[in-house]
This record gives sequence, C-alpha cells and structure tokens, in this order.
Amino acid sequence: MDTKWYEKNGKDGEVVISTRVRFARNLEEYPFPIRASANIKKEITEKVKDAVLNNNSVIATRFSCINMDNIDMGSKVSLVERHLVSPEFISGGDDKTLLLLDDESVSIMINEEDHIRLQVMTEGFDLDKAYELASRIDTLLDERLKFAFSERLGYLTQCPTNLGTGMRASVMLHLPALRATKAMRKIAENLTKLGLTIRGAYGEGTDPVAGMYQLSNQISLGISEKTAIDNLKNITRQLIDRELKARQAICAQTAVQDKIYRSEGILRYARLITCDEALKCLSDIRMGVTAGLVKNVSLETINRLLVEIQPATLMSREGKALEPSERDEKRASLIRENL
Amino acid sequence: MLCQACQKNQATTHIKNIINGELTEKHLCPECAAKQGYGNVFDHMFDIGSFMSGFMGEPSFALASEKRCPNCGITLSQITKGGRVGCARCYDVFYDRLLPSIKRIHGNTYHTGKRLKKPQLASGENSAETEVKPSPKSEIESLGAELQAAVKAQEFEKAAQLRDRINALKAEQGGNI
Repeated sequence: MDTKWYEKNGKDGEVVISTRVRFARNLEEYPFPIRASANIKKEITEKVKDAVLNNNSVIATRFSCINMDNIDMGSKVSLVERHLVSPEFISGGDDKTLLLLDDESVSIMINEEDHIRLQVMTEGFDLDKAYELASRIDTLLDERLKFAFSERLGYLTQCPTNLGTGMRASVMLHLPALRATKAMRKIAENLTKLGLTIRGAYGEGTDPVAGMYQLSNQISLGISEKTAIDNLKNITRQLIDRELKARQAICAQTAVQDKIYRSEGILRYARLITCDEALKCLSDIRMGVTAGLVKNVSLETINRLLVEIQPATLMSREGKALEPSERDEKRASLIRENL
Repeated sequence: MLCQACQKNQATTHIKNIINGELTEKHLCPECAAKQGYGNVFDHMFDIGSFMSGFMGEPSFALASEKRCPNCGITLSQITKGGRVGCARCYDVFYDRLLPSIKRIHGNTYHTGKRLKKPQLASGENSAETEVKPSPKSEIESLGAELQAAVKAQEFEKAAQLRDRINALKAEQGGNI
C-alpha cells in the first residue's frame, strides 16, 4: 500500500507537519445542498463520480468511492482524525459521498457544505505542490461539469465566506516554543490584519492542544490563488524562523529539557495513556528531536503516531470498538512499539 | 432549539466537532458563540448566520422577505438567518442586498484568479482555452451595484468614492460621462 502523507516528513518538517489546499465548487444547474432534495443530491453524486472516475486521466482509476451511509461511525470519525473529511461531512446522511485517492492525498467530498469540496494534502511545507495538483483536478472536472461561476463573484458557494477562488489553503504548524513563550496571541492578532487566520489544530475552538496550529487564508474574493498562497508562504516562512529561534532559546533551559525527557520517559514506559496526554508528550519529544535532545526517534514516526493514537483511528486499527480504558492501554503499547 | 450555554436564546450556530473519538454537536446563540471563540472562525464549523443578520439588520429584512429567488425559492431573510445562500442564481437575485456582507467578509467585491476554462455564456460554441478577463465594462457594472447598495445603506461618503471611481473608469474607456 502507498505510504500516506501523514506517515512522511516533508519540507521544513521540523515545524510544518502538513499542507492542505481545498477548493469549493458547485454545479450550476442544481440548488446548493441546503436547498437540494435527496434525489437531487443523488444526481449530483452520480455526476461528480462520473466526472472523477470516468475521465482519461491517470489518477482516475486510483480513487475509491465511500458513501457515508454505508460505513459505521467509527470509520467516519477516523476519516476526520486523518484530516480527510470535515466533522460536518460525517454528521448526517443525504448521500454524502467521499472519493478518496489511494494514498489519501486527495479527497473529494460530495454534498458537504458545497456540492464539491476538493482537497489535496501533502506532508511538510509544499503549497505549490498541493495547489498544482488541486488545480489540475479542478480543471479536469471543469471540462466535464458546469461549475457555478460569476464574472464578478468568481466561484459561487453556499456560504459567502468562500466566494471568489473558493480556495482555502492551510499549513499545520507545530509551534510549541512560540506557544511556551506566550507569543501566539500577538501573532494571531497580527495575522488577522493580513487576511490570515490561525487556530488550534486539535480539540475545540482555539485551544491549541500540543502546540499544533492550523494557519490558513481567510479571504478568497478579490485575491488570486497565487497571491493568497504567496502570502501564506511568506508568513509561514517567518513563523518557521521565529519558532526555530525560540526553540533554540528554550531548549537550552534545564526546565524545558526536563519536560522533554519526562515526556520521552512516559511515552517509552507508560502502560496507560490518554489521547491528550499522548499528544502533549509527542509534541514535547517532537521538539526534543529537532533540538537534538531525543535520539533514535524520527519525525516520520511521530507524525504517524499523532494520527494513529487518535481514538477512532486506534479502534479501526484494532478492528473493534474499545472502551476508553482499553484504548489507553492499546495506545500506550502502540507508542512503545514504535519508539 | 435553545442555546446550550445560556438556555435562553435561540441557537443559530451549530458546531460539529470530534471529541475523544466521538462526533459532538454544540448549539449556541450568536452571543455565546462569540464568547466561546467561534466568532472569528469561518472555516467548516462556523455558521455565519448570526454574523450576517447581526450587521445586515433584521428589521429591514422582514420587509424585504417577500421576494423569493425564482430558481430555488429561498427568501432573503432565510439566507441571512441561516447564513447560507440557496443557489447560484440567488447571488444575482439578491446581489445588492448581499454585497455589503460580502464586502465586509472579504474586503473586496470583485473576483480575481482562476476562471472557468469555458466561458459560461458561450455554451453552444467551441470555446477556446483562453482565460476570460474581466472587462472594464463589467467592473463598472459591479461598482454600479456597489454604489446602489451604498446609497441604500446611506453610506454617502463611500458612494461618492464609488461614483468617482466609476467616472474614472468610464473616462479611461474614452466614453462620455
């Protein structure tokens, strides 16, 4: 089986875990999902499936088709944990269908908030690669489908926040040192002024569990894809530099080293570990690895564990539902086996 | 449905999240949503309904709510309440009324960037692969709509700026003002 993007470590992997580019598209002839009947949604699904699966491109044969009505809740949640679909997408029937590329780098959600949500993920910091692939697939679909588009407002979307390019580009950043030095609030304030937004990548709202953040463009109308991406690249580059400098400074402190080594101890020897604790400890040793403090652990392994320790993904790996305490035990042993 | 936080107001923001391996839904009123930090997050989980109705002003909507989109049947008040537009046609039908909120969200009202490979109106023709560029005329039209919206909203300073911009564009085209 192909290696998944979350099992790799990419460009600027010390700080950037992954890159995502997502396009929102709708078919001109149908109402948006909130006004579409079940039958219309079925029609939309068939049209999009046909456009994706029956074209002459090389990747057409590599997609699998998953109807959300046909899989159990655990498998659905695992899709969210692997960042392949949104929580919105798994929250209720109506012919929501996922087209997923075999290496999980491309997912096409049908009947989410828009008729089509096309998403490309790559490991590390690679906005150009993610954008180019997303744009190629978009062009391929454009040849076979009639997208809702206006000269003035660009691609028309159910929610006006996505008008224009319909593009949301984002990077998942590991910023434990900037978080520890309390620099994030100020950074977040300044980013808003630049048309970008940053929020915690795990957990609810803006709570940044494990120092993981999602940085993305906020504005999609009146700004071209290229400008939005250049903007995001520029800011990400600055955040990488600041984070690495901050890491250098704090990793020289005994208290911080102590925290990192304690986390390594917990991960290597614990017999029961909750998801939150595991995320925090993995975050600590991730910083420890890049600072040269933690040896014999690769960033690939940590990246993979960040996904595999999530409750639903852990259960689908075990092939059965587990009680929280059973999960904590399986999680601890999964981590021990991999470190 | 009542807001889960204050148990008083109608919930308009519905946030779906995965917590500890389970899909959860949270239903909040606009105030509580803003308090809990969902006021600025527009990505997947945020429902801009409260946001839009907040600044578009509910009372004027009640009056305008009779008008329906001839394509999907949605009314303007339904759009502002739910924060979601019914179909592609709605953007034409309610253009003037939606424009201020679009402007507020994006700071812009005119698309730049990727366009359809085949121009939409020329559906019967064999379209070439040329990209469609916005013509100055359509920009004038777009600004004209903005101007109307500004006048309606009694934003006269802004309207004057728009009028000047339109005149400048017309002058660029060599047309008579």
